[in-house]
Amino acid sequence: MTRGVARLLTFQLPLAAFLVFLLFPFYWMLVTALKPNRDLYNLALNPLWTWSPTLDHLRRLLWETHFLPWMKNTLVISVGATALSLATSLLAAYAIGRLRFRGSGVLGIAIFLTYLVPPVILFIPLSRIVSGLGLWDRPAALVLTYPTFLVPFCVWLLLGYFRTIPQELEDCARVDGASRLQVMRYVTFPLALPGILSCLIFAFTLSWNEYLYALVFLSSTDQKTVPVGLATELVTGDVFQWGPLMAGALLGSVPVALAYSFFVEHYVAALTGALKE
Amino acid sequence: MESARITRRRFLRDSARAASALALSAWGLQAGQKASHAQELTFPVERGASLRVLRWSQFVTTDRPIFEENARRFTQRTGVPVRVEYETWTDVQPKAAAAANVGSGPDIVIGFFDEPHLWADKLVPVTDLAEYLGRKYGGWFDVCPQYGYSPQRNAWIAIPIGAPGVALNYRVSWVREAGFDPDPARFPKTTDEFLRLCRALKARGHPTGFALGKAVGDGNTWVHWCLWAFGGRAVAPDNRTITINSPETANALEYARALYETMIPGVAGWLDPHNNRAFLAGEISLTNNGISIYFAAKNDFPEIAQDMNHAFFPVGPVGRPTELHLFSQAYIFSYTRYPNAAKEFLRWVMEDTQYGRWINGMLGYVSHPLKAYTNLTVWRSDPKALPFRDAVARMLPHSYAGRPGPEAARALAEFVIVDMFADACTGRRSVRDAMRAAEDRLRRIYRG
Repeated sequence: MTRGVARLLTFQLPLAAFLVFLLFPFYWMLVTALKPNRDLYNLALNPLWTWSPTLDHLRRLLWETHFLPWMKNTLVISVGATALSLATSLLAAYAIGRLRFRGSGVLGIAIFLTYLVPPVILFIPLSRIVSGLGLWDRPAALVLTYPTFLVPFCVWLLLGYFRTIPQELEDCARVDGASRLQVMRYVTFPLALPGILSCLIFAFTLSWNEYLYALVFLSSTDQKTVPVGLATELVTGDVFQWGPLMAGALLGSVPVALAYSFFVEHYVAALTGALKE
Repeated sequence: MESARITRRRFLRDSARAASALALSAWGLQAGQKASHAQELTFPVERGASLRVLRWSQFVTTDRPIFEENARRFTQRTGVPVRVEYETWTDVQPKAAAAANVGSGPDIVIGFFDEPHLWADKLVPVTDLAEYLGRKYGGWFDVCPQYGYSPQRNAWIAIPIGAPGVALNYRVSWVREAGFDPDPARFPKTTDEFLRLCRALKARGHPTGFALGKAVGDGNTWVHWCLWAFGGRAVAPDNRTITINSPETANALEYARALYETMIPGVAGWLDPHNNRAFLAGEISLTNNGISIYFAAKNDFPEIAQDMNHAFFPVGPVGRPTELHLFSQAYIFSYTRYPNAAKEFLRWVMEDTQYGRWINGMLGYVSHPLKAYTNLTVWRSDPKALPFRDAVARMLPHSYAGRPGPEAARALAEFVIVDMFADACTGRRSVRDAMRAAEDRLRRIYRG
């Protein structure tokens, strides 16, 4: 009995509180998306519940805006930018961390410093490049520009992981006849999987939520991403259409939540595996 | 039955009347046509032209279909395809900035405030069009040339489109309950009387609410009104001397502090949508806003729509209206390959048939910049929309008493005046310190 109470107090209750804290924003989005407008502005009603749920907001979002094309665009852009950034970062971080060449340390710091340059300063020069490449108003513009802030952080993160992997493991593989590429593929990268997955989640989430570049480089309504599209279509002057906005925010957060829930398992497994090594 | 009888005398009299009426009408028609020909202007559209128009996303759902219908008719008439792109009204400027710097992007931008003056040297002069429209439609309201004309270019660089007006929104029954006449014509007309009303409302449990957060529309409009109503101003007409630290500004801040005591708690963090929500929820009795609250109420809260009305901001010690509204204007980037097509499009949009249809369809959300449009149907269709009719006529430019330009744009973007009022009202700073802080910020901005 005492053990049960102790478990309740030390595990179940804190876990429940943690869950409520984490899931509350999703619940709020859901309940707002289901409330009719009259309930949304009626402060006398219970803000956490509705007795007259409606699908009108969802219907408006899905059929009266370009929400589905926005989702597709955002997914394509996020996957593309993440893949490009991860591939570049892996090679860059490995080269800086493992290959001995003059200025590698300075180069590592310099790459990270570029992460500190705010996008609001970069978007005008980047506009020139995007325009010069003929990518204006095309999702490819974002696939190419997002790595400007994704690569520096990913390189910095991966550098840290590569430094925790003993050099001796690579040396042994080289003694056994493995080429540099084989060492990377079969030894270093599998051991750096937690770092790679962290980068993947980080890059995907940032690409999914990015606003400024998506606002500047895309113009046509059907080319927009979810964050910009929702703001353009559902914020009309000083009237925020909270129902459809919350429905959009909820649906828009699903892919990110899925990415997290899927990769967190692998992330933990990879982390455990790496420690065993 | 006398009227049915045709006598010789009556035949002669009626014939003479008819002949003179015909002669007069023919003369009038001819004169009218002559005048009309003198007024007409068209721009020869370039062969193969097409246009991209970037504008603010709609405030009311009727706006976009009518604007696009006007664009379609323009295409049918001229053969010039028009693609219209929309962004949230606060997001138009960064897109225009990128386009201005890159030298590529939309041909026409419909933006806000002094955007055109930020890249004046990169725009097509539109003096011919502005003068033509002014001549034809009774002239521009005084504020229009201040926004549309560039002393630097010595030319009009933008065509004023109009202003989403801001007025006092109030609950009729609560104003009556507070002992005041809720008729807009008899609503408090002076700042003193207005303060008495706000205090009476608060005393009866109906606080007021005016945004003091970073509310681009609602925050800026009411604090600028208050500042100017007492004779305060950020900068002198030379656009260099900072004049914010003055007894007039101190009076404005003291007045705002008194007004703040009648407000609901939390206004210091309010953004543009907060007062809409609070008004519709019945939390506040009075606020400043566009006509959006009224439209939301008509759709979802008819009892509130019934019980609310709009009035002008009261006049302060300076003795004349000192309002600020969200001023919109259209400009053409000089990188466009089709400047004539762009000008022709703007002319088409501003002509009475198209402009009237558009503004009427927006139900009073945007007030006209040309005097002849004061007679549009929308201003007669709903008496509650009437105070918005004169928004452009009553407004001052946000740069007052200086000129629109990069400095005024930055001061507005950094909420210098809003912050000064927020500091003084909430007690974060004394009136004197709030003025000094604003003065320091303005000095940095205007010094460049």
